[in-house]
Amino acid sequence: MRTYESIFIVHPEVVGDDQTAIIDKYKTILSDRGAEVLKVENWGVRTLAYQVKKQSKGCYVLFIFDADPSVIAEFERRMRIDEMVIKFQTVLLENGYQAPAAAEPEAGSADEADADEADADEAADVAEEKAVEAEASTAAKADAAETTEEA
Amino acid sequence: MAYGGGNRTSGGPRRRYGRRKVCRFCADKKATIDYKDIRSLRYFISERGKITPRRISGTCADHQRKLTEAIKRARNIALLPFTASHSLERG
Repeated sequence: MRTYESIFIVHPEVVGDDQTAIIDKYKTILSDRGAEVLKVENWGVRTLAYQVKKQSKGCYVLFIFDADPSVIAEFERRMRIDEMVIKFQTVLLENGYQAPAAAEPEAGSADEADADEADADEAADVAEEKAVEAEASTAAKADAAETTEEA
Repeated sequence: MAYGGGNRTSGGPRRRYGRRKVCRFCADKKATIDYKDIRSLRYFISERGKITPRRISGTCADHQRKLTEAIKRARNIALLPFTASHSLERG
């Protein structure tokens, strides 16, 4: 059983229930053949770097799963004939996949480490902004206090 | 090449091995190369979408190979462009 990661792009005009239906369809294709789906991520509609099938946007879905190599061929075959899936890519994860422990950056796969670093960076930026705002507001308050004292 | 080969009339002696930059990934053990993280991959592609050479970005050989693989995977799945002129074509 090897760990694979599969990203596929769903046609952008498929929305809402249809979208979840497609995602569930592929999840069942995998689990019916004895694959264990570890993670499903829906990135939503994003702009593509180049046009695919004349579309400039697409809905990205990420699957991480444990499976036998024979399952992959069937999985990709089904995606190839599905017209709503406009692009797909399956990658073997050599280091396996470690499920993250409640948003802690210690034990994590590449995805989670990157996500956590990104979150930490964003949190740091937000904290910095708030600190700057706090300083500015206290400075403004001090100025206001001084002017009232003078008057 | 960009700097015109044997043109030595200006600039004096050729630069010795450029900058001795440290590989970003060797220095920071936690930094992983993931084709899905295009924000960090963007540092390693030029404006036209070309992969920057190792002597410019300062990465070590091993990480440059992994970077290249990640960038090519990202290109395959339309996270990164193959070339800058994609955006000019419409319809």
